[in-house]
Amino acid sequence: MPVLVEEPALLSKSRLRSDFVAHNVKLHLKHIDHRNAAEFSSDEEEDVQDEAEENPEEAELPDPSGLTDDDLKAALLRLGFKPGPIVASTRALYQKKLSRLRRSNGCNLLKGAEKVLYSASEEEEEEEEEEEEENGEDDDAESGVEEDKQEAAEQTDEAQPGSSQRGDFFYPQCFLPSSGLRARASRNKEPGLAWNSGNALKSSEQSRPRRSQIPAGISRASSVDHCPGLGSGPPREPVIDTFKDLLPAETTPTGIYATRRRPIKGAAGRPVQYAYPDTPFSPTTLERREVERRLVPIHIRLLFFIVMACILYLVYALV
Amino acid sequence: MSSTSQKHKDFVAEPMGEKTVMALAGIGQVLGTRLEEKGFDKAYVVLGQFLVLKKDEELFRDWLKDTCMANSKQQNDCFSCLKEWCDAFL
Repeated sequence: MPVLVEEPALLSKSRLRSDFVAHNVKLHLKHIDHRNAAEFSSDEEEDVQDEAEENPEEAELPDPSGLTDDDLKAALLRLGFKPGPIVASTRALYQKKLSRLRRSNGCNLLKGAEKVLYSASEEEEEEEEEEEEENGEDDDAESGVEEDKQEAAEQTDEAQPGSSQRGDFFYPQCFLPSSGLRARASRNKEPGLAWNSGNALKSSEQSRPRRSQIPAGISRASSVDHCPGLGSGPPREPVIDTFKDLLPAETTPTGIYATRRRPIKGAAGRPVQYAYPDTPFSPTTLERREVERRLVPIHIRLLFFIVMACILYLVYALV
Repeated sequence: MSSTSQKHKDFVAEPMGEKTVMALAGIGQVLGTRLEEKGFDKAYVVLGQFLVLKKDEELFRDWLKDTCMANSKQQNDCFSCLKEWCDAFL
């Protein structure tokens, strides 16, 4: 529905009408306060009089069940809802709808006592509705009404708006725990490791005292006979070679990257790592194995032979 | 993207003809019996009620709740089933 920005009065009316039907009273009132405060100030006196007239009318409204079909229809139209045919099966529903609308409307009017502008806009809505009906813009009004009602129904029935509201709150909250986790992670890692993504300085500081210990370790190692792996390590980076078992193999911000050294054979329960994983098999043995896989196994062959021998012996013995 | 049941798909795939009320999505044995007691023995009668209420979701759901005590999910399923059928065939 195209609305010209140049005509704020019309803009607010159409918005008010759609919001009113969708029971968004607070929003509706805020809209009015914001937009119509200056514009409708001159109409305050009229509004007060109209409101005074309306209030006694509200009190006199009969029960929905006491109304005739036509009166019920008129009452619903007055409240901004366009009902379908009021038949036996639909009457009860429309009565409930009327009482629901009246309740929400009554709450609006109570609040409207302070905010007088609301009643004026309501009257103008009704007038506009009648004009619109005469003009034949029913489809737009209906679709707008139905869409708003569907939205309202969806809001009451489904939990999506709740989750979407929670989803909005998730955004600020999600940042907090992640930052907290990061802080905790850094704290946990500090005593254990020297390397941390966020603490390059600390890691370098901790690595320095270890470096001083390493030359002593190397001298001790050289005196004792041990695996040759250490011989290749020290010229490059003795630090990591010695303490690699304790530290996990991760990329570090300092740029030191090291490969795993072969542990000392059988020392301190460490697994022995051979240069070559397994003794390689010759091609003939591999072929033999493949062939043997296809043939019947030896044990079964032997058993079969013995069984056949027994049978033949018995046959010859009987003959 | 809401997932629709097989029943929904089956109902929406063809004109309802003389299908019983229990062919509607969301209407099972219990609800179907209650609707039949009230006189809504065929799916097209429920369709009639749906159309008389001008396909209004809130009113139709209230009607379902009052007539056969359908819960929110059943109301939702039945409404969306009929609505989609109307979009396709009406």
